[in-house]
Amino acid sequence: MSTDTADREHYEAVVVGCGPGGAAAAARLAEHGVETLVLERGTEAGSKNVSGGLIYAEDSAPYTIDDLFDGFREEAAERPVTDYRIHNVAGNSVKTYDLRDLHEHDTDWCEAVLRRRMDSWLEQRVHEKTSETGGGVLTNVRVNGLLREDGEIVGVTCDELDPIGADLIVAADGVNSELARDAGLMDWEEPEEWFQGVKAVVDMDPAVIDDRFDLGEDEGAAHLFSGDLFEDVRGGGFLYTNEDSLSIGTVFHLDSLVEQQAEPHQLLDALLTHPMMARWLGDEYAEREYAAKLVPDSKKVAHPEPYQDRLVLVGDAAGQMQAQGPIIKGMNHAVTAGALAADAFAVTRGNADPEAAGRRYAKLLEDSGTMDKLRPRRYELARAVGERETVTNAVERVLDSPVGRVALGNPISNRLLERAYNSPFLVSMLPDTRTGYVTVPSIIGEQHGRTIQWETDIEPPTLEERIGELTYDTDVGNPHIELEDESFDASGAAVYACPVSAEDFGGGCYRSEEVTHNGSEETVVSLDTQPCVECGTCAIVADTTWEHPRGGKGVEYREG
Amino acid sequence: MTMDPNEHTVDELEDELESIDDEDVLQSILEAEQAGRDRKTAREAVHRRLEAVGAVDEESESEGLEGDTETEGEYEETEETVGEEAEGEEVEEVAEAEDEAGEEEEEDDELSHPTRDKRHVRALEDGDYADMWVFCETQGGELIDVSKEMLGKARRLMDEFAEEYGVSASEESGGSEDGTASGDEENVVAFLMGDDCEGLAEECIAYGADVAVYHDDDRLERFLHKPYTEISAHMARGEGSIESTEWRDYDQPRYILFPATNNGRDLSAKVQAELDSGLASDCSDLFIEENEVSNPVKTGEPGVKKTFEKVLHMKRPDFSGFEYSTILCLDNPGREFHPQGASVIPGSFEPIEPDYDRDGLVVEHEMALEDDWFRVEITEHDRLEAGIDLTGHEVIVCLGRGIAEDPTEGMELGLDLVDAFEDAELGITRGIVTSSYQFEGHVEEYSKEERQIGETGQVVAPDLYIAAGVSGAVQHKVGMDESDTIVAINTDTDARIRDFSDYFIEGDLFEVLPELTEAIESGRTELEAIADGSGEESENGGESR
Repeated sequence: MSTDTADREHYEAVVVGCGPGGAAAAARLAEHGVETLVLERGTEAGSKNVSGGLIYAEDSAPYTIDDLFDGFREEAAERPVTDYRIHNVAGNSVKTYDLRDLHEHDTDWCEAVLRRRMDSWLEQRVHEKTSETGGGVLTNVRVNGLLREDGEIVGVTCDELDPIGADLIVAADGVNSELARDAGLMDWEEPEEWFQGVKAVVDMDPAVIDDRFDLGEDEGAAHLFSGDLFEDVRGGGFLYTNEDSLSIGTVFHLDSLVEQQAEPHQLLDALLTHPMMARWLGDEYAEREYAAKLVPDSKKVAHPEPYQDRLVLVGDAAGQMQAQGPIIKGMNHAVTAGALAADAFAVTRGNADPEAAGRRYAKLLEDSGTMDKLRPRRYELARAVGERETVTNAVERVLDSPVGRVALGNPISNRLLERAYNSPFLVSMLPDTRTGYVTVPSIIGEQHGRTIQWETDIEPPTLEERIGELTYDTDVGNPHIELEDESFDASGAAVYACPVSAEDFGGGCYRSEEVTHNGSEETVVSLDTQPCVECGTCAIVADTTWEHPRGGKGVEYREG
Repeated sequence: MTMDPNEHTVDELEDELESIDDEDVLQSILEAEQAGRDRKTAREAVHRRLEAVGAVDEESESEGLEGDTETEGEYEETEETVGEEAEGEEVEEVAEAEDEAGEEEEEDDELSHPTRDKRHVRALEDGDYADMWVFCETQGGELIDVSKEMLGKARRLMDEFAEEYGVSASEESGGSEDGTASGDEENVVAFLMGDDCEGLAEECIAYGADVAVYHDDDRLERFLHKPYTEISAHMARGEGSIESTEWRDYDQPRYILFPATNNGRDLSAKVQAELDSGLASDCSDLFIEENEVSNPVKTGEPGVKKTFEKVLHMKRPDFSGFEYSTILCLDNPGREFHPQGASVIPGSFEPIEPDYDRDGLVVEHEMALEDDWFRVEITEHDRLEAGIDLTGHEVIVCLGRGIAEDPTEGMELGLDLVDAFEDAELGITRGIVTSSYQFEGHVEEYSKEERQIGETGQVVAPDLYIAAGVSGAVQHKVGMDESDTIVAINTDTDARIRDFSDYFIEGDLFEVLPELTEAIESGRTELEAIADGSGEESENGGESR
């Protein structure tokens, strides 16, 4: 073994996290003959992961997941997406556009996935591959920081194991990457750089799914929702068909959630109980799992040079999550990035400069066009004017005026709108204001929509019931989040923005409480980490010290 | 543009060269390489590029990413060192796991064995063994629970042992290796040490021991590795005065049990090493059975099967209880491993009901303790708070976040109700433990984690459980669901606790609790009548009778 410090464990490569990014990196490293150790904090890969649920294989991407993992679509995925629509909602009026053209642009295939099943399958493949070159996957191990020597990153430190040295450290530890933050490459500062998604996995018999969504064998549907469903909160909803369940969720700009003081679980319920859902959900509603996740907005945070010393970041850890209008792609970019990081290491192996692999990786991201998908230059230009509040307001006023409504409401514009939605270029330029998310779609819904007369009797579970259904292994006496400032000013936003907390709900993570301090009444925030789903929202919106729980501890997703 | 090839790996170099078409530039790179690191592979790379540029057809891109193969064959090593080795190495050394057939163990030559330098090893061959010994750990002048649990288990095991191998078996057991005095029954022997432990030795008899051997010395008040180990081994070998050893006539115990506590684990390893035997640590089940073995290390010759009688099967959880392995400690020909030893996880077994009239022999062990063994001195010690035990009470009054309006008063009202009962305790929900409620000094101690009921707190099952202002989250439910009668007080009739309450009182706990307290103190009500038996709302608590 190549050991630089006598008694320290050393691997050529250590990959932190066994999601798609980590799995791709590890698999590709093993193919290059690199001795690779994969550390996963979940009790099994996938137990800590949530995603909306679509993974793409892009024609233009240098790597797709089935290139790296043979049989992926058959073994690890749910249903291919063959039907893709967006619904613009205004009250009970809904206008639907077929988005297949946009969806199929540059798409080799697209599958709905559930992460527990997918990632645990990947973990086995990765273990097989990495075992052959002297490594393997270890679960229940939380990497808690970077090992430095003379100020240089040389390995990782863990809660459960002694420090491990490595020539390459791949941080694929997700959106709340502690390694990326330790290295100072990412932060948790600005709510406007993040989305928050919540999702319900709804139990449904395969035959019923086929019937309600009009699907044949090997077919699946993806529906997107936008409009005034969610009041003024910027974001949208989705519904994907799995083999025997549906993934239904909502994704919002975190700053908008905070601004509107919206409760994420109520926004999800607003979608679930909208009359248009009745034809898909029927009368029986059985929720298998409630989940939440923070999503980086790659337009703003995808790190153009995601490396430092021997450390490279891939996937969510590097902010590589593309969410532009109806396009939501994350896992495919993580796969590409992971594989490119591995290739970069293989090519530069032996180079005395510790940053050689990282530099090479950044170059490959750029050259392969991946970086431009994540941070399109068109968007940087459009954003400069488009997101300024005054411009938003001006545009809003025009749209609200009779002239604006006619413009969007006339039959010609209807055709144009469908084309506009289907243009990847136009979509990538949509500024992130309520104009794009709320105003335009709801005017479309109002002017073009068909009014839905169905009724829905669905009663989604309460937040308390949802938390009760989740599986936790609580690290008693060892909370992983500490509230640094309990004043409502500093941390009150977490009470509503946290997906497992709510105003007037005592069973959640964050609760506001009236306390009397020497006679004067004051509102403070208290925290109980037991119901925590580890999404990271409070790391941004509240004043906390945020870490992941120890290996194997905390929430365990069954669906993901 | 000049490029210094010495700054690049060969793979990088190849890549860079792809973009260079100028023969002169390539030549200068080649020279730079020769002047510098002069790598053969690098020179070849430049040559290849020169060929490609200079003449014939373009050579296809060679992303020679094979890498070196130095890692071959290292897997075994890394795997082992990374996958945390389970404790219990001692076990592997001498004791044999059941399924280990085929695993090679070096023939014992008594030279290469790590314990070869031991001078005191006795009974290597044809030893006499009997009885099940139990180390009874004490703390603060009392037997700790696991000591009683082990005595109970030992009692049951040796009763079964007597049935199995007793009278009828002894008739046919002429040639058995078993050479104990009576040949029918074997004893449970408790052994303990401390400052003044004769009384505890007697208690051991009550808890199932036939013989209790104790050693008193004021220096033994607290656990110390060296003297405890020396005394234990001395006792086990039957050394000492005639008076203290005449009750026995065997070389060493057949079986020995230690508690898998901090001290017990330490002692078990040291004593078993001292006695040159093995140890199965952290066991959760024990039984005695014969076992047929074909491993030549144990049978003496390959292909022969041998049946070992009276083998203690020691089950221990592996991988946090996902799997169990059964550890056996079997003699080798020419080298016997007794006592067969285990440490036992506290709580694994039930103690027997103590019978203080049980007959048994209490023996004071005699042995000179060397000063040298007491070089470790305990200069300071602190006993941690035992915490609050909410189990075993008739009534639990549990307060939830319903007290938010005035946490201190809520707590006081809960305590008043607790006092009204004969045997009650106050519990709280996790919601209170993690709240930022400001309690006044006199009730603050009741707001701590030690009183928490639920999944991450204590699990209680009293006759009566009164939940005031508790919403009834699942995590709370698992901590109290088994209670006989559950009475909930809540202003919210949709609270989940209503689903699993026997009686639900709709009302503000600040009003209902004092009424309940008063009713119970004045004896005007019986618990069942609190809610008028209907299970539905009743505004005025216990006034109904």
